[in-house]
Amino acid sequence: MAHSPAAAAIFGLSPLLVSLAIFVLTYAVIVTEKINRSVVALLGAGLMVFAGVLNQAEAFNGIDLNTISLLTGMMVIVAITQKSGVFQYVAVKAAKVVKADPWGLLVMLSVVTAVFSALLDNVTTVLLIAPVTLLITDALRISPYPYLFSVIFASNIGGTATLIGDPPNIMIGSAAGLTFNDFLFNLAPVAAVIMALTMIPIYFIWGRKLHASAEDRALVMTFNERESITDARLLKQALFVIALVIAGFVLAHSIGQEPGTIAMFGAALLLLLRVYDKQAEDQSHAIHHTFGEVEWITIFFFVGLFVVVAGIEKAGALEFMAHKIVEWTGGDFTVTAYVILWVSAVLSAVVDNIPFVATMIPVIQSMGSTFTPEQIQTLWWSLALGACLGGNGTLVGASANLVVAGFAERAGQPIRFLPFMLMAFPLMLGSVAVSSVYLWLRYL
Amino acid sequence: MTLRAVSLQPEPICVSPDTSLLDALHLMLDKGVNHVPVCDGGTWAGLVDINDILYELLPVSARGEHGLKDLRFVGDGVSLIAGHFKDLANKTVREVELHDLPTLDEDTPLLEAALLLHRHVAPLPVLGADGKFKGMLSRRGLLKHLITKVGL
Repeated sequence: MAHSPAAAAIFGLSPLLVSLAIFVLTYAVIVTEKINRSVVALLGAGLMVFAGVLNQAEAFNGIDLNTISLLTGMMVIVAITQKSGVFQYVAVKAAKVVKADPWGLLVMLSVVTAVFSALLDNVTTVLLIAPVTLLITDALRISPYPYLFSVIFASNIGGTATLIGDPPNIMIGSAAGLTFNDFLFNLAPVAAVIMALTMIPIYFIWGRKLHASAEDRALVMTFNERESITDARLLKQALFVIALVIAGFVLAHSIGQEPGTIAMFGAALLLLLRVYDKQAEDQSHAIHHTFGEVEWITIFFFVGLFVVVAGIEKAGALEFMAHKIVEWTGGDFTVTAYVILWVSAVLSAVVDNIPFVATMIPVIQSMGSTFTPEQIQTLWWSLALGACLGGNGTLVGASANLVVAGFAERAGQPIRFLPFMLMAFPLMLGSVAVSSVYLWLRYL
Repeated sequence: MTLRAVSLQPEPICVSPDTSLLDALHLMLDKGVNHVPVCDGGTWAGLVDINDILYELLPVSARGEHGLKDLRFVGDGVSLIAGHFKDLANKTVREVELHDLPTLDEDTPLLEAALLLHRHVAPLPVLGADGKFKGMLSRRGLLKHLITKVGL
């Protein structure tokens, strides 16, 4: 891309240096967590434009509106659906299916968490599952720790499985034109295997020692999950729209539509169903309230990051980085795939995986001159597996981990940074090792 | 007109921060009040609300912002509450959040006191000129005074 004369003239410095300085500064401040990340990203984005690296049109072009609409649309749908009590229903039902047996309960809650995380965002899933988990372990008079630990793992593993499970997948899918089905066929199988294998160490560490009295188990069996459905009409509307949206994702490719449009349309449809029989004023109130529940911090964080990354991309920094990686791996495809997988995993365990993936996407795109399109697709899977599974490595690896830790703290069973890491980091490395084998068997 | 003219709750009770929550609850039930002021050596320290005590009895999963919104599905879960009663005896009022309330003194104008009472869910502490706790001003106390002195 040609640099505009204005850009080259700014401060008499090269746009490459200016954009890199803004990029490094932005990411450094994000890592310190002293200032809200969305504000930092937006300030960084503004600086990219003021410094002349990008003009406004180029900055706006850098914002991936497909990702933004998919995220926002799903957030609206989830904000409405969670009020129906369906998640509570499923969790209690799952506990009763295994007769409130402690180990069976742990497996069931992990599976439920993984499935919900694959279809919703992880933070929402754990916000809904963790309280029910605490209630049941409270009733069984057993420690909630192993359960909350497994919920964290299940949410990050489940989120790996689909296009909409985790923000990195949404970004990768959108940038690389990978469909819902591509993710389902390529990542869901390995996510299921990793989930199953993760239960083995959890069984040996905690599972085999869990015990609840017959009396306490009987108490849980008296829970009536039907009572958690607070609004049957809302439940029917929400399930109808979710089924429609997921069908849309599955068929997206054949009907020539993008997930962003499908999610946004689903959100609008569900809002219509919720308000069509209300007075104008009540409609405004209900819709205002629902829009208020969208996590705007995340959305604006994405907007800012996209512009910052567009800045260094235009200045040529990412192409340079791609060349360096290829040079370093000697252009060997297998080595490149493994480097991306393992570096993504370790970095995502300590820093936010969203900015990392936002940066890596253009890097992988500019490897198109070295590798074939099929090989590039494998690199996308390496990036997705590393970035999503890496979140399990430490307590700060994913926002969902911190949400669960918040509940654990309240329950008087705090999940501390170091003890969690000592257990979680090796387990996470194990899951990445399984992914390596999977990549080897299927793609390399 | 200032608060000097208003009579405070008779015989101001005040518990020490080391009182157990169970004792504070008994005191509230005996005196028929919903709040007990906490004093540390005569100095105002805060307030325990009966709702703070109820909170301690709820299942942990239902406490706080993202806790369970309804517990109907649990059915008769009295055993879940019963389990927390012994915690009340072991926890002191120092450990529960004391409401950060504005303090009044005898020179506070009645209009200001009326506004502050309206904005806070609890009665407000009145301190003497020496900074020592004098008693609580409740909505009832203020309204009783207003209706006889400035009302009909």
